[in-house]
Amino acid sequence: MKDKKTMIRFFSVAEWEKEQEFLRRQHQKGWKLVKINGLCLFHFERCQPEDVIYQLDYNREGMEHQEEYVQMFRDCGWEYLQDYVGYSYFRKPASQMQGEESIFCDEDSRMDMLLRVWKGRVRPLLFIFLFLLIPNLVLAVCDKRYPTAAVFAGLMVVYLVIFAKVGRKFWNCRNSAPKK
Amino acid sequence: MNDHIRKVYVPMTETGFYILLCLRSEMHGYGIVQKVEQLTEGQIRLSPGTMYGSLSKMEKDGLIGFVREEDKRKIYKITPLGTQVLELEMDRIGRLYRNMMEVRENEG
Repeated sequence: MKDKKTMIRFFSVAEWEKEQEFLRRQHQKGWKLVKINGLCLFHFERCQPEDVIYQLDYNREGMEHQEEYVQMFRDCGWEYLQDYVGYSYFRKPASQMQGEESIFCDEDSRMDMLLRVWKGRVRPLLFIFLFLLIPNLVLAVCDKRYPTAAVFAGLMVVYLVIFAKVGRKFWNCRNSAPKK
Repeated sequence: MNDHIRKVYVPMTETGFYILLCLRSEMHGYGIVQKVEQLTEGQIRLSPGTMYGSLSKMEKDGLIGFVREEDKRKIYKITPLGTQVLELEMDRIGRLYRNMMEVRENEG
């Protein structure tokens, strides 16, 4: 029986919750995450099936002060795995928790993380979208270069889907946040 | 105290309140987590992501100050501005509590 496997999974910027669930399910099936590298390559190795909660944080400042940042999580019982494209990965067995724990305990800090993702990941995408994709699409259409135009149009659809997802997430989070 | 501080911290989150309350004496992040767990008899367990984010935000806003580092843990203490904000919150929560008791007694 193989005791290592690699899976390719793509999660867009706003889908870290899906990714956390995916990693948790793998661990429940007896596959623990070893590392993520390359283009969304998830490496697993066989282990005792266990309910382990995986969590992602997006915190540039934390990554810059890695020692104290990781220490804070370690003190609270979270194992630090690695950083990957700006996200830091943590896990903790459910058996060591009282109830289901998360690395965030209030809506304000969840919203803060969303804002950090927005500033660090979505805003740069928005610039590419506005200053590269749209002008190129217009140029390609004007020059009647339709295959090129189709590629840009396709990319635009991908971008719009990502923005829609992030937008919905913000909306949901804002609505569930306690009103001041 | 400027408008930014007033807007963000008055009123503040439970996490923020407990951080300021604990940092009247020098403490590191995990020390605060333990202290709060003990104060609330395990009812409030602060999470590391929330703690790290709140501490760095409060440090930037000048509510708490970095004192020194010990075993990779940053030790903080409340500043005069932080104390001012904490006192405002204490007054507000005290008022909430008194009002609650008054209304309950009248109903009683």
